[in-house]
Amino acid sequence: MPSLILAETLAAWPTVLGHTLATLGTVLWGFAASVVISLPLAMLIAASPAISAALTPLLVVTQSIPKVALAPILIVALGANELPRIIVTFLVAFFPLVVGTVSGLLATPPELIELGRACRAGRIQELTRIRLPFAIPFVFAGLKVAAALAVVGAVVAEFVGADAGLGYLIQTSMAFFRTPLAFGAVVILALMGILLFQAVAIAERLLFPWSSGVDTPNPGI
Amino acid sequence: MIRLDRVSKRFGEMEALRDVTLTVAPGEFVAIVGASGCGKSTLLRLVAGLLPATAGHVVLDGRPVTEPRADTAMVFQAATLLPWADVLRNVTFPLRLMRRAGRETEARARALLATAGLAGFEHRRPRELSGGMQQRVAICRALLQEPRVLLMDEPFGALDALTREEMSLELLRIWQGREMAVLFVTHSIPEAVLLADRVVVMSPRPGRVAEIIPVKLPRPRSFDQEGSAEFQAAAQRIRGLIYGERVRAA
Ligand SMILES: Nc1ncnc2c1ncn2[C@@H]1O[C@H](COP(=O)(O)OP(=O)(O)O)[C@@H](O)[C@H]1O
Ligand SMILES: [Mg+2]
Repeated sequence: MPSLILAETLAAWPTVLGHTLATLGTVLWGFAASVVISLPLAMLIAASPAISAALTPLLVVTQSIPKVALAPILIVALGANELPRIIVTFLVAFFPLVVGTVSGLLATPPELIELGRACRAGRIQELTRIRLPFAIPFVFAGLKVAAALAVVGAVVAEFVGADAGLGYLIQTSMAFFRTPLAFGAVVILALMGILLFQAVAIAERLLFPWSSGVDTPNPGI
Repeated sequence: MIRLDRVSKRFGEMEALRDVTLTVAPGEFVAIVGASGCGKSTLLRLVAGLLPATAGHVVLDGRPVTEPRADTAMVFQAATLLPWADVLRNVTFPLRLMRRAGRETEARARALLATAGLAGFEHRRPRELSGGMQQRVAICRALLQEPRVLLMDEPFGALDALTREEMSLELLRIWQGREMAVLFVTHSIPEAVLLADRVVVMSPRPGRVAEIIPVKLPRPRSFDQEGSAEFQAAAQRIRGLIYGERVRAA
């Protein structure tokens, strides 16, 4: 069976490669959107209990809506292009990143905050010089989960409405009883998830060597 | 230079400090002892400008303290180092934060670390250091600000007894070379007597100044003085004030 998967996948390689790149694009855009939106959102939530009380239920709601149900609605609303797929990917991936970053910002020991205040730090300095650096390991824990989930999100979106991508490939191959090819696509997805996860881990080690090895609680998915 | 004039502090219904009056001269070393919860940390935070007084005045150099000042530095019981920064950047952190770091800051930091026996550790992270070394870093961090007022809240509380004795003598050596008033909170009566010009004894619920005991031992101080009559008398007096009737009954 593994040899069959390999043979069928290689036979269709140019097509498979095209689908892989299409999915990778969606994953990367969705992941980037998660980062760009989650970090400021987390800072807002951590900054004020009032904002947190207003936003947190909304965020939880976005998590309880089944994305498979949401994807067709988004496609009808936004048209059959890349945008709804990126939005679905973002919706699947961003939550653990927000939760992780907020936990990190709020887990800053009160003594460090007091040290900052004793050194005449204002709110902005407190955030940029103390809370954010302290939150880095938590942010990266969230980023790793988000990277893996972005792959899931992209495939969910492609299942519902796409003319390219590994999710689309899985569906069409199954429709034509080309099960080995579908399995090949699943294996590529798994590899993509692992590679993205490792890329985040390597980025962490290069940019913030002190961060890896610091104990952080799992941000929870 | 520091003047507390009938200072009271409430946290809601809780009266942490009542009518505390105290003056500290420039360059004076004042220790504060008292039971847990009698408001010692609160007193330091008021002087640091981290908390506002509910009543009374906290005055530094003739001006009321309304916010943290650049010439006041604080050392906490835990070293409170930044886990992501190396020793050198931890020591220079306050000056960088206050935008007072200059060309010579790093050189001064290195010299200070060398005095504290931390030469060669400049680029280590806090978690690679022992508790005693971490607290030395925290003290260097405070000293680098060249404060005129140094506030220390049980700075040696988390250290073992030997490290503690060694560090208290080191602190005295550093203090002697500077014009720096020190307010030093401790749970150790011998430590208070050994270090201080005066020992403020506080009583709990609400926190008040029970008595201020002058310590007339000559400087430089050393552990040899612990046997002296003056040392014993001061320590005995403080014990009596803290434990009250219980000591006499025993
Ligand atoms: N921020 C605060 N909010 C409410 N109560 C406080 C606060 N800080 C201190 N207290 C209370 O004030 C009293 C004195 O505390 P503290 O100054 O820490 O005492 P000490 O340092 O002598 O042990 C304690 O009863 C403590 O619970
Ligand atoms: Mg205290």
